[in-house]
Amino acid sequence: MSNYFYVSPEQLIKDRAEFAQKGIARGRSLVAAIYDQGVVLVAENPSASLNKISEIYDRIAFAGAGKYNEFDRLREAGIRWADSTGYTYSREDVDARALANYYAQHLGDMFTEGQKPLEVEILVAQLGNKLRPTKLYRVAYEGTISDEPRFAVLGGDAETIKERFAQSEDSLQSLTVTLRNASSALSGPDRVIPTEELEVGILEDRGNRRTFVRLTDEQVKELLS
Amino acid sequence: MGLPLFSAHADPGPSFWHYADGAGIAPSSATHHDDTPHATTVIAVRYDEGVVMVGDRQATGNYIASRDVRKIEPADHFTALAISGSAARGIELLKIAQLSFEHYEKMTDSALSLEGKANYLSPIIQRNNLTSPLLVLPLLAGWDDSHRVGRIFEYDGAGGCYERFDFATIGSGSPFAEGALRLGFRSDLDREGALELGALALYEAGDNDPSTGGPDFVRNIFPMMITVSASGFQEIAGPEVGERFRLINERRTESRGVAGGSLR
Repeated sequence: MSNYFYVSPEQLIKDRAEFAQKGIARGRSLVAAIYDQGVVLVAENPSASLNKISEIYDRIAFAGAGKYNEFDRLREAGIRWADSTGYTYSREDVDARALANYYAQHLGDMFTEGQKPLEVEILVAQLGNKLRPTKLYRVAYEGTISDEPRFAVLGGDAETIKERFAQSEDSLQSLTVTLRNASSALSGPDRVIPTEELEVGILEDRGNRRTFVRLTDEQVKELLS
Repeated sequence: MGLPLFSAHADPGPSFWHYADGAGIAPSSATHHDDTPHATTVIAVRYDEGVVMVGDRQATGNYIASRDVRKIEPADHFTALAISGSAARGIELLKIAQLSFEHYEKMTDSALSLEGKANYLSPIIQRNNLTSPLLVLPLLAGWDDSHRVGRIFEYDGAGGCYERFDFATIGSGSPFAEGALRLGFRSDLDREGALELGALALYEAGDNDPSTGGPDFVRNIFPMMITVSASGFQEIAGPEVGERFRLINERRTESRGVAGGSLR
């Protein structure tokens, strides 16, 4: 039989936050940024098949940092939610803000009530059109949702990377420039991330309904050269 | 609609249909039968570099309900899906198919094989046709990118899926279209030959079956013609289709309606 000791709510939340932060810090970071034609998501990812970036819907993309199995389940739930919402109502009724809110609620619930908090951070990106603006929603492990104005950084080293990226870019740039800035913000001054270890996805209007494209290693190499 | 999270043992995986069915989103079966619009002729013909599909545009209830229905739609970039039977259920099936193939692709980051897509529809058709009088019979044709060949799959009323290596037809005008196809089909057809044969077979069906709409020169509405090849689903533009049917019509006028000769 186990004994329960009193733990103050402050202490409990502090412990849980520390636990989640540690878990997230073990993974590599990612940058999402708005550029003049769309949104680019850049993740440092040594694996070519266990993706951190994914298409959710016609104009919505997903990125996750932290524990792969945990954010991938959320990614799948997001695709299911988007496809069934579009099926029930209409494709134009699928809104990134609603999805980001669901993620925030779930992460918040898991943080306070779960066996353990989820060790993930989530980004929901939306490419704007006549109906909706271009948006980057960042959802933290405890359910805090923030609407990031131009770019967002997820993962362990977020603060440093954020500073580096903010310094290199103070207005909307082309895809090439934004990708370069994101890549060097992720790597820092002392190293270069090989292009095979960069996972890049973009949301851009090219006349198709689906705006998400995953860039190949060759395309990334060409843009960075 | 909350966030659809599942534990590992209850997870529906990348199948949209199984998820939607379990969540009660997909339509349930009907037991009452109204005379809702139906009837069709759609033809699929294989050629050396893909498949051709030709479909009429008419929806028929007790009278002509619509003259410009699109019965062939891209289910995805490499797959064409045509419907016959209940219009409502057919459109529903199209929607489910389009959504499911895309859903699978997003969930797994890889596309279903053409055979996988054809098999996926079997239980959906079976469920519909065995529990509802609103029957639906689709025809699936596409480009099999891994085997570099065009392929055609037809279904029976119980959802059985059969691959056809020459041509296939669905709808009430099938017997007439089938006759023309049997006479005209060769295993070495090229794209042009397949388009010509498909148009002729549909003309025959429209000429003989009251529920199949032939070329409508008064309203300038013509059957749909599409190809699926290595470059994907392509719809033939209206003026080109109109020209094909105009030529057939002229030949038929010359022969005073006699269909014989060297496949007029």
